[in-house]
Formats: sequence, C-alpha cells, structure tokens
Amino acid sequence: MQKITTDKPVVVFSLLGILALSLFLQHEFNIKQSLLFLTGVGLGLSLMHALFGFTGAWRVFIRDRNSAGIRAQIWLIGLSSLLFYPVIAGVFPSLSAGAAMGQVGFSVLIGAFIFGIGMQLGGGCGSGTLFTVGWGQVDMLVTLVFFIIGATVGSAHLGWWLSLPNIGKVSLINEMGWLPALITQLIVLFIIYRLVRLIELKRRQKLSDFSAKIHQGNKVDQLIFGPWPIIWGVVGLTIFGFVTLLLAGYPWSITFAFGLWGSKIWNALGGDVSSWAYWSGGYPNKALNQSVLADITTVMNFGVIAGAMLAAALAGKYAPKDKVTRKRMLTAIVGGLLLGYGARLAFGCNIGGLLGGIASGSLHGWLWLVAGFSGSILGVKIRVWMNLDKPYGASV
Amino acid sequence: MKNPNKMIMGAAIGIAAITTAIDHTRHKLPEPEESSEQANIIIEGEEDSSPCSLDSDSMSSNSEEVVIEESESSSPCGLGD
Repeated sequence: MQKITTDKPVVVFSLLGILALSLFLQHEFNIKQSLLFLTGVGLGLSLMHALFGFTGAWRVFIRDRNSAGIRAQIWLIGLSSLLFYPVIAGVFPSLSAGAAMGQVGFSVLIGAFIFGIGMQLGGGCGSGTLFTVGWGQVDMLVTLVFFIIGATVGSAHLGWWLSLPNIGKVSLINEMGWLPALITQLIVLFIIYRLVRLIELKRRQKLSDFSAKIHQGNKVDQLIFGPWPIIWGVVGLTIFGFVTLLLAGYPWSITFAFGLWGSKIWNALGGDVSSWAYWSGGYPNKALNQSVLADITTVMNFGVIAGAMLAAALAGKYAPKDKVTRKRMLTAIVGGLLLGYGARLAFGCNIGGLLGGIASGSLHGWLWLVAGFSGSILGVKIRVWMNLDKPYGASV
Repeated sequence: MKNPNKMIMGAAIGIAAITTAIDHTRHKLPEPEESSEQANIIIEGEEDSSPCSLDSDSMSSNSEEVVIEESESSSPCGLGD
C-alpha cells in the first residue's frame, strides 16, 4: 500500500478558494448560485478521486477490449435516467426541470464525430479536461485554452451547421410516455452492457472488475484522500448530477461556458461577437452581457476545477512533474480545437450532449454516442500513427 | 522551485481570477447616462439568470410580454450545452 503525502499548502489554498468563491456568489447573486458552485466541487472531487473519464475508458476498450470504464459509464447513464425521467416528465409536482434537447441531424453527427477525434488527441473530454486541469496537468491547460478557442469559432459557424438536414428535437419522453421510454432505454443500456462485457470476455477471457475495492486504511480515509473505486465515482456523479438538475433546472453541462469565455475575451480584444447569430439573442446574448459569474455553467466549471484540485492535493498528486513534449503540445492544440468546435456543433460534450441528452430522454444523445465513439476509433488510430501509443495488441 | 508545473498552474489560476474579476466588475458598474426606462429593462433581464431556470417566481415578477419573450429565448434546449 502506497503512503499518501497530502499537499497541505494546496489543500489550504483550494479550501480557502472554495469558501471565498461560494460566499462571494451568495453575496453577489443568491444561495442557488453558491450551491451550484459547491455541486461542481463535488463533481470535480468525484471525477478526480475515481479518475472517472470517458476518453481513456473508450481508448482501452477500442484497443484492448477492456470494458470496465464503459460499463461504469452505462451505470452512470442508467442511474441518471432513473432519476431524471420522472422529474422531467413532471411526475412530482414540487419538482420541475427541463431536458438537454438538441436537434437530431448532421450537426450532431459531424460535431460529435469531430469531438470523438479531439478527445483522443487532446487527452480528455469535457469533464476530463476540467478535472485534469484541476489536477494540475499543464498539457491539459493547453487543451483547455484551445477547447475555448474551438468553441468560440464553433459558435460563429453554428447557424450554418444547424441549417443542414435534421429532424428537429425528439423527446423520447414526449413520444413514448416517460415510463415506457425509461424502460426501453434501460433495456437498450442493458443490451449494450452485456455486449461490451461479452466482447471483453471473448478477447481477454476474464472480466476487468470496476467495482474492486482498493485497500487504503479505513473507508472514511479512502473517501477523503482517495483513490476511489470507480463505482464510488458513479454514485458521486449520479448524486451531484441529480442535484444539478434540481438546482439549475436542467442537466449538468460544461461547454457553453467555454464559448462564452472565448467570446467575452474576443469582445474585450475589440471583436464583436454580438453580430454572430448565436450570440445575438436569447440566453447566449444575455449571458454575454452580464457578469461571467452569473452563468451557471461557468460557476460549475470553476467548481469542478476547484474540487479536482482539492482532491488531487488531498491525494498528494497535485501538479505531476511530467514535461510537455512538442508532440504532446501539438496534439493538445489540435485536439482542443476539435473538442471545442465539435462540442458546439453537437449541442454539448460527453456531459451535456451524451450523458445529459440520453439521461433526459433526448434522441440526439444517442446519435452523439454513436458518432462520438466512431470519432474516437479514428482518434485512437491517429494516436498509433503518430507514435503516441503502441500498435494494437501491445498495451497502451 | 521544486515543481515548475505548480508555478505554471498558479499563474494560470491568477490570470483566470483577474480576468473574471475584470469581467464581473465591468458588468456590475452602473451606467450614469442610462435612462430609467433602459435600467428597468436590464433589471428585468437579470431576473432569469440561467438558460433553463424560468420558474414560476421569475415569471410572475415580470410583465406578460417579457415572459413570453424570455421563455422562448431561454429554453434549455436551444443552448446546446
């Protein structure tokens, strides 16, 4: 068992930062804004301690048929669906929330495919980029900067992409009724679960166990200092995701804020994004013209980064000393641009588009999954071609 | 410095904090030339602070005309994340 050396200065810094920003948000806005920030902290802590990611999990499945991460994601989507569907359908009169809807068409298909490539090159998805930045990985800082640029450029072109053929927004809850839709969705998820399990067993003859307990003294210590078994991460993300739905009124999302930050910076540098269709009306226009801290996705993203930073410091893992090579810099730049541009076209990243979309009954979430995974297959091949990974058959 | 990556991350956090503070301050500053009518419009717009949180409270506090406009423009479905 490895002894944990907690990075105390960073723990103190991150705790003070979390406290200060939560109080500031309550003072400047309201308690809800503060709670949403703290919910983001919980999400970041869960992501970091469980090292819960989509990118690596998809890559090891594509390469080695290790399905542990994908099975954990299916649990997350299934549990979230169980909680989200009745609330969105209005089963409980005291609770109300909206779905993460997106039109089903070429925009999502191409955007998610591009995002899937970007995930593998950039080294993270939406949530993965945030929590690894919180972890202190310098290369992911580069990915995040270009993620923001890509999302900003994507918002400039979105109007054209949305004019491509589509069948509009399709809510499975509206089309089928919430209970039949939920049961159908859970059956489909179960079939996928069994399929990936079967594929792994066929290739590796044994199943990787994602619920395995990692011995680290007592359970309370493990909860605070990590590392968590991935199933703890699933539970944490489900709980905090549900809290987000109840507080914000819609599922957890990430990448809207990236486009907002980029557009605000572009405006500050003398550009004028208000002439772009995306920013000229509705909520985007309002978000552009008010404090960045008034935007829920922004404060939640700050929370995720702060939570991951706290978790990494508690675990004694903050700011790994890895050097960033030129090749890694190149993939971070290209990957970041693809992530940002793709997310804008696809109505969100793996969180807002895939998890939020599917768990709230939007058909575009399923299209996102197929297109994003296909893009990742190509991204994994590009990684091998660039000598970032060993050829198939060798371990990653 | 034992770990230069910590310094880089610290600098990044500092820049982000300053940029956020500038943006927040810029939008918080009052505009003296603004007419009272314009000010009212801004205040009404600020009632709904999220893309999808149009609850009954924020709706009831605005005029009917504003509510219709807001509910169409602030749909969670239209944001794409």
